[in-house]
Amino acid sequence: MITRILIRLAWALMLLLVQVLILDQVHPWGYGAPLLCPLIVITLPMGTSRSEALLWGFGVGFVADIFAGTSGISSAALTFIAFLQPPLLELMAPRDSEEELHPSFSTMGRWNYLQFIALLLLLHHLVYFALEGFSYFHLTDIAISMGVSYAASLLLIILAEHVRNPKK
Amino acid sequence: MHDFIERITAYVHWALFLLLEALSGFLLFQYNHYQGSIWFTQANTVAAQVHEWEAKALSYLRMPAENAALVRRNIILQQQLDILRHNLALAGTDTTTLNSQQPMASGQWSTIEARIIDNSVRKRDNMIVIDVGSEDGVAPEMGVLSGTGVVGIVSGVTPHHALVMSILNSHSSISCRLRGTEYFGYLKWKGGTPLRAYMDDVPRHAHIKKGDIVETSGFSNVFPAGIFLGKVAEIKNSSDGLAYELEILLSTDIANLRHVNVINNLIKEELDSLVAQ
Repeated sequence: MITRILIRLAWALMLLLVQVLILDQVHPWGYGAPLLCPLIVITLPMGTSRSEALLWGFGVGFVADIFAGTSGISSAALTFIAFLQPPLLELMAPRDSEEELHPSFSTMGRWNYLQFIALLLLLHHLVYFALEGFSYFHLTDIAISMGVSYAASLLLIILAEHVRNPKK
Repeated sequence: MHDFIERITAYVHWALFLLLEALSGFLLFQYNHYQGSIWFTQANTVAAQVHEWEAKALSYLRMPAENAALVRRNIILQQQLDILRHNLALAGTDTTTLNSQQPMASGQWSTIEARIIDNSVRKRDNMIVIDVGSEDGVAPEMGVLSGTGVVGIVSGVTPHHALVMSILNSHSSISCRLRGTEYFGYLKWKGGTPLRAYMDDVPRHAHIKKGDIVETSGFSNVFPAGIFLGKVAEIKNSSDGLAYELEILLSTDIANLRHVNVINNLIKEELDSLVAQ
């Protein structure tokens, strides 16, 4: 139990470092940066208590917020998807899967896992950019920002998942 | 009773969800009061330290480009100085008057050199963190300039770092005027590209053309008058149709900045006390 949390913590820290040191400096065509942090919530294993998932979401969001100067935005968006992740995973995981399923391309099936990532990431981006664009003047700009960031994040997360779990 | 407790605990995650979202909302709201929330920003000690290491590492990579830009700028300035000296000499004026005409050289302003350690341009409210703080003499409300013009205003300080409200921030409002005229307004950024901002409240009888220069007005005591802000790119009607709204092409590319200067108005207190009277 403790080792499991420590491993997850180390992984979260690594993703946060990549986010803060590299991704926050990248703005494709001057628009939204890719966001990798949702991956920490997306990959929470089946059987994680819903309260624990919420604490992961908020904790990671809080740290990401402090480093990016977006106080409240990441924590709200990640808490939101952390609330939806456990029931969604239950719904989309294969029926004959083991009790403590770790979501990945190999355990959930390629297409299923892609849908799972795409859906949670979309929900995350909707909340994130709605909060960031609160009283924004240029609605089209925020929509483009969201679209660019969503596409970049999705691509990056799929890539990261292949690096993390090279076997099919 | 046992059943009752079990039923309550089954819903505890709802309570936790609402609590954490409320906490996020509180942080989001609190962020609008910049001064009060500096510890929850990139300027807090740990975050600023990490960003400083990163900035140091990156500055080596960017040094050649930066050097080239500085040399280029130096040449341009030298040429301008030569032309001005020449023109002044032709006009029969003593060239030493040039010094007294420069606002920064008059002794009213002191400058503190700083390096940017964190910066963003993609948000609605962009902030910059610089590597000087209260122990270096930086205080809130001081102006921040780069070689090409205005960057922002200091909004909060810690002992070794300062948080600067970039001009690319929806709360930023810089008193400005059209060079050579007395028409003034406020420079505001409305999101989108980091190179364009707007100047509001320009009266309709003003004669404006594209390419006119917009500079600081000096009304606010934060910046001296005459600091370059940008050029008029587009002349539009304001939303109420009573004035012009000018689209300004900013002179400073905030996305591509490393070195800035914090400027301190040495007689600001004196001026503020006059206003208060």
